[in-house]
Amino acid sequence: MSKANEIFPRARIPYGTWGSSYFPAWQTSALAEVNIGQFAGEAMNHILGLRRVPKSELDYLVIGSTIPWHWKFWNAPLVASCLGERVPGYHMEQACATGLQAALLAGNEVQSGYDVVGVLTFDRTSDSPVGVFPERRAHERTRALADVWDNFGFDPATGNAMITTAGLAARKYKIERQEVDELAYVRHKQYFDAKRSGFLDRVLVPLEVLNVQGRPLGRIDDDLGVRELTLSGLRAMNELDTCVTGGTQTHAADGMACLLVATKEKARELSPRPEIDIQFVAKIEVRTNPSLMPEAPAFAVQKLLEKTGLTMADIAVVKNHNPFAVNDAIFGKLLDYDWSCMNKTGSSLVWGHPQGPTLTRIMIEALEEAVDLGGGYVLLFGCAAGDVGIAALLKVS
Amino acid sequence: MGKTMRQTTLETLGLGTVGAMFRHGRPPVTSADLVDRVFGNSGQRGSMVISGANGIVGAGKTMQLGARLEPFGVRMVALDFPNAPDGIGKQYPGLVQAFGPDGANRIMANITRMNYDGRTLPGELKQMRPRFLLEAIPEVLDVKRAHYKIFRDAFPDIEIRSVTSGFPSSELGVGIAHPAFPHEINKIWEVVEPEPSPVSQLLWALGLIPVPVSDHWSFVLDVLFCGVTLAGLRYHDASNMPFWKVDKFVRKLLGPNPFRAHDAIGAQGANFLTWSCLHHLAQRYGAVFTPSAVLEERKTTGQNWYPPNHFRPLVDWKLDDGRAAEFQTWILGPMFQMTSLMLHERRGHLAHLNAIGELCAQFRRGILAVMRAAGPDAVIETVEAYHRLHPQAAGAAWHPDAFASMESPEWQQLYVNAEHDDGVGVVTISRESYNGDVDAELNRALDWLKVEGIERVILTGDFHLSTQLVGADTAEFYPALQNADAGYGIASAWSRTARRLNDEFEVSVACVNGKRCLGGMLELLMHCHYVVAVDDAQLGMPEVTLPVVPGMEGCHWPFRKAPSDDWPKLLQLLLGGRPVRARDAVGWLIDYAGSLGDVLQTAWTIASKGKHGLERRKVERGALKGVPTDVPGLPEPDAPVAFEARKAIVGCIQDACGAKLGDALAVQAKRSADFMTSKWCQTGVVGTEYTKTMVV
Repeated sequence: MSKANEIFPRARIPYGTWGSSYFPAWQTSALAEVNIGQFAGEAMNHILGLRRVPKSELDYLVIGSTIPWHWKFWNAPLVASCLGERVPGYHMEQACATGLQAALLAGNEVQSGYDVVGVLTFDRTSDSPVGVFPERRAHERTRALADVWDNFGFDPATGNAMITTAGLAARKYKIERQEVDELAYVRHKQYFDAKRSGFLDRVLVPLEVLNVQGRPLGRIDDDLGVRELTLSGLRAMNELDTCVTGGTQTHAADGMACLLVATKEKARELSPRPEIDIQFVAKIEVRTNPSLMPEAPAFAVQKLLEKTGLTMADIAVVKNHNPFAVNDAIFGKLLDYDWSCMNKTGSSLVWGHPQGPTLTRIMIEALEEAVDLGGGYVLLFGCAAGDVGIAALLKVS
Repeated sequence: MGKTMRQTTLETLGLGTVGAMFRHGRPPVTSADLVDRVFGNSGQRGSMVISGANGIVGAGKTMQLGARLEPFGVRMVALDFPNAPDGIGKQYPGLVQAFGPDGANRIMANITRMNYDGRTLPGELKQMRPRFLLEAIPEVLDVKRAHYKIFRDAFPDIEIRSVTSGFPSSELGVGIAHPAFPHEINKIWEVVEPEPSPVSQLLWALGLIPVPVSDHWSFVLDVLFCGVTLAGLRYHDASNMPFWKVDKFVRKLLGPNPFRAHDAIGAQGANFLTWSCLHHLAQRYGAVFTPSAVLEERKTTGQNWYPPNHFRPLVDWKLDDGRAAEFQTWILGPMFQMTSLMLHERRGHLAHLNAIGELCAQFRRGILAVMRAAGPDAVIETVEAYHRLHPQAAGAAWHPDAFASMESPEWQQLYVNAEHDDGVGVVTISRESYNGDVDAELNRALDWLKVEGIERVILTGDFHLSTQLVGADTAEFYPALQNADAGYGIASAWSRTARRLNDEFEVSVACVNGKRCLGGMLELLMHCHYVVAVDDAQLGMPEVTLPVVPGMEGCHWPFRKAPSDDWPKLLQLLLGGRPVRARDAVGWLIDYAGSLGDVLQTAWTIASKGKHGLERRKVERGALKGVPTDVPGLPEPDAPVAFEARKAIVGCIQDACGAKLGDALAVQAKRSADFMTSKWCQTGVVGTEYTKTMVV
């Protein structure tokens, strides 16, 4: 316990100033039609308005996304203009870790002197752009790459697909298909229980999308594409690789999520519950052996616990980005942890993976859950392209 | 006239009362006389100089005044810096549209453009004999003062008016003639001068609308327009709602869309002007006027308020009930408070304060009418609630005592006035379109005349704020689009008011003094025993084009008064939607057409029981037989909606004419109300307006 110091002593996350869109599965909603950078800027402004945070409070904006969008070159300043506040900022990306890394970078910006930094992560996997890359060494000379699908299907460093890493890791740890199906079933139940309880209404904000004529194009008010699965249904699914089926892996989605990082004083001023204090405690990243991505987050958490002197028993809320159910099974095995105790309000395995905002939504849900529990440590982690694992620890008091 | 409900607005211009105009049989002044007084007699005629003539205001007013003064031989001098972008040339297409190529060429040829360096006037200006300078240069006090000095040094007798929207006359040292956007066509001029002058009277005689206001920092229009902009900005600051959406909610609530207006006028200049007015008001009256930070920024950058086309908004905003109430407080609170200041300072005739918002700032109902409908307690509560949201505004410029007299005729008769000379009453309508406020005020005016024992009445426009009578205010129909009972309520109530003109007076005379009288206003006036009109006035029933079915008895009342041979003309009027000239409508729609002087005299003669030689057309009380159902030669409807509209109007004519007079009012009101709920009306002009304005 004694080593669990704050990494950004000046920075806090003001409770209740956050929000996320729902994450409709790719190609199922109006988000498939929009410039996601513009949408995210406008949506964050709307969410701040609902939370009664004047956008003029923002000093700086960190945006995170992984899929190129129109006018991406203009990055955070452009998104800030769409948000309605001409503040500086930058764009960052770290594949699926983007949503957590962006918040950590914002913490660092506050530590460096800004008072209120916005964190805005977003992505549109629907109709992701297709790039044509001149390649002198390839026999085709030029190759057209669909950003999302080609990247999922091929890690240039190893030559393997994402799904292959899950299969390889499952075989390495001798994970059983039965456990993975049960795990996925529990994850679905956790999500739908949280949804029915109204918990998600505190995190997710319905948003109306307009077309160019200013008429309604669609309402983003559900994690479209998510269906309640039975255990027998999961068991009946075809195995695509070891322990990986359609029901035990996530799906591509579109969406955005945002939160603020501020000084302690500003956080008190902006939060509807100023008595709640949310601190950054620690952060670790690791990179594991080639094509074993699902084990990387567990290694990151092990290292984080070692660094902080904490044990899993000290953690109030455990939540992760789990594109494959295998990830959680390996985590349970390596940390000797009951995986049913984590992801209690749902996880990206179920509600989908729009990449950039995934871990931001996970963070928001985890913080809300911690507040419900009366505070405590919040452990967030996940895997990212390149066999990377990231883990961070926050403290809610 | 012996007695008036409240002061006639013409009196504020030194032009007497409308009743006196009828009694004398002529207008109080003429354009020709006033041109002589302001510019000198023919042969010695001087010129009008507009400085800053290439600017938005300068160019617009060069056109508006140039078109009106050209027939009198008054030369226009357009003065500006040599490098000023050409604002006058851009006006040419509009002139061609309004006056035809010959007229446009004549007006343009009458304009002499001159350049100067800001310090010395061009030598050739002297040859033009400048008599009147309209200054439209940037809003910088010292620059303006220096500008007047150069002119006065060169032309000591020159009459000067500034178009300033912010500086008082006492600071500038000249009179004010503050016009309203769009400057080519908006007729309103707020004028500041110690006494009504020939210049202001000339504006009136030329068909414009000078409105005297007091000499305070920023004039009424600017307090309202800048005020509603600031209210929107404050709500934006509090809620993050983007400007485009604040605009839509403000339009739904009050009518204006201030941010769109800034962009339309030109954000670079308009942002600065709004900031300038608010800045000076804040210096004198406190924080209720303090420009917000974003306005401070945009007065410098000139940035538009709406996003560029390639960033048309993606995320919509809605207001739940709680937030809608809060929004209302943010908008109405400061508007009511600012208005309390203007009332406290007696900035003008209440009808003027009210009308300026409608005629220049897109208010659906004038701000005083809005406050009157709410009542003093609710107004005060709204401002106090605003102060809780924005405590800085509570410090000054709040005068709740200004609402103590809300029951007085000055407050209660914003749109309709009445006067009488113990024999003839004159009722004047100062709003171009008929709405619930006009209806209520007209009833009060008629009640007042009855109480005063007046049995002979003339109903007319007010010769000032309403230069025409265009019909019913279609915004009043919004509730009727979904609710036939609401439509029936409006149509039957307004029809009952109209019938009072026929039923309750010994003699009633309607006088059309403006350029047109259409739709609901024509239906109202046709209930008078006699209708007289200036001979080139346009009279029409354009309802079929909207489409709506006329609701104030237009489908049977004129048939009951017209010879059956003329019924096809009435049918043509109703089904074709095109107006007729008054001179062509005598005998079947109206009773007399002539020059303005003749019309005034005729109306007075009829009302005062003089010999006029006109036969009073009887209203047939029984069911009419043989009313035609179609008009030979009427072009075929070009769309299903036109076909359905005609069918509905023909049906209404047949049913209402086929009923006895006692039943016809209800028949027509029901027909009108039923059509209002049809898809044809809901997708027509009224329904589209409703969707655009109220569904946000």
